Amino acid sequence: MIDVRDVVVEYGKRAGAVRAVDKISLRVAPGESLALIGPSGCGKSSLLFAMAGLIRPTEGAISVNGEPLNRPRREIALILQNAGLLPWKTVWQNANLSLLLGKEYPRATAQAVLDELGLGEVKRRYPSELSEGMKRRVGIARALSTSPSVMLMDEPLASLDTLTKERIQDLFLRLWVRHAFALVLVTHDIEEAAFLGQRVAVLTDRPARIKEVVENRAMGEQNYRETTAFADTVARLRAALERE
Amino acid sequence: MKERRGKAKKALVYVTDRVRDRSFAWRVLIYIGSLALLFGLWEIASLVILHVKGEEYLPNPVKAILEMHRLGPILFRNFWTSAWRLVLAILIAFFTGYPLGLLIGQERWLDQFVSPMVYIIYPIPQVAFILLLFLVFGIGNPVKVAIVAIAIFFQLLVSARGAAKEIDPEHVTSVLSAGASRFQTYWHVVIPETLPSILTSLRVSVGLGMAFLYIAEISGSVSPGRGGLGAFIKASSFNTTQQAAGILAMALLGLVLYVLIDVMERIVCRWRYTARRSS
Repeated sequence: MIDVRDVVVEYGKRAGAVRAVDKISLRVAPGESLALIGPSGCGKSSLLFAMAGLIRPTEGAISVNGEPLNRPRREIALILQNAGLLPWKTVWQNANLSLLLGKEYPRATAQAVLDELGLGEVKRRYPSELSEGMKRRVGIARALSTSPSVMLMDEPLASLDTLTKERIQDLFLRLWVRHAFALVLVTHDIEEAAFLGQRVAVLTDRPARIKEVVENRAMGEQNYRETTAFADTVARLRAALERE
Repeated sequence: MKERRGKAKKALVYVTDRVRDRSFAWRVLIYIGSLALLFGLWEIASLVILHVKGEEYLPNPVKAILEMHRLGPILFRNFWTSAWRLVLAILIAFFTGYPLGLLIGQERWLDQFVSPMVYIIYPIPQVAFILLLFLVFGIGNPVKVAIVAIAIFFQLLVSARGAAKEIDPEHVTSVLSAGASRFQTYWHVVIPETLPSILTSLRVSVGLGMAFLYIAEISGSVSPGRGGLGAFIKASSFNTTQQAAGILAMALLGLVLYVLIDVMERIVCRWRYTARRSS
């Protein structure tokens, strides 16, 4: 469970301060998914980084599983825009970075995660030897390596071609159902938000405020992209984004 | 005729493929070819000077190599003296300038405090300190090592500072979100990401270090037989063949250091070469 209460994020001090997030409150229950959608640069990534414990909110509070959040925690995994892989580490080292930083030898489950994501064969390769789709999968493997209860994603599929993007969206969905983590996805892609968010919070331009929350309970149905419910959610999100 | 042309084309394709492959044997062959070209140009320069001036001011490479062989132990002693001074100075500069440069580049408060000092001292030609150092510390080995180390130190410090400021923020966010401490951020991101540019800077520093070593060695030598290559070259002012042998030995020292840095880079920055191969 992640609970965000009246969070404000400002950069800079006093008169020159720029407000990126303005009094946002939201709650994501275990096993629930929430997509945050808004224009580029509206402050949605700042909100996500605050939820990851990387930025301390200027005002308000965030708690995860009932405990106040003031630094990154193992139960919270973050997937970054370009997967955040370190080019000098192999696939295996990148995928198990959290465990290695904690001076833990990767467990057998780490190998199982790599196999599940089809990366078992390339674990000794460096990121530069992989396709973009594979790199994203390594990012997912890293996020899963600590069995998190909260998964945060910051535009994880930006700059991918449509087919690869859809394949990885399907993968996210399968993993979300199987591992039952609370999922918070930040995106500016309407279809991605409609495909992966049970609820979609539409944010205003900077500073980010919640403009509207669109319910999307049919999400996760088989062939959801081809259903009228999906088309309807996409249309509602587009209308909400366009509304002043 | 047509068949012969086809064979020649095949041979050319084979050679260019092997050069692209950059297998070890081919790299050695290219190295040898490059040295042969250099010696060829030297030979031409030597002939031109002999023709124009009527004196052999620049002995040809064969003579220089034979002279190196003749001088044997005495040249080797001087080579060894210069080599350890230079290597020690590089190590001191590397293990002080590199970490300090990274800290200045990453920690804003330290940057604000140290950078003004660095930018006042850095533009002063370090040669200006030589006389002062000789006056204070005498003409022994420590001063010669110190002069070279100071010159390289600033070079590496400024490079490391610049490289540390160019760190990809996504890499830092990536390790911080994985729970890295400050030390782990340096160890897993800042050091590996800056190493390639620091090794490039180190290559430039070898040339700089050799120039300073030469100045330090000709400015004061402890004993004639072990003064280093600089002192040896200076002592051979009236014997151009011996001088050429000394210069060649100095070039050899530089070559050995460049090769060592190359090998080191291939080991510690293995990921860069894998990337190159796969692209």
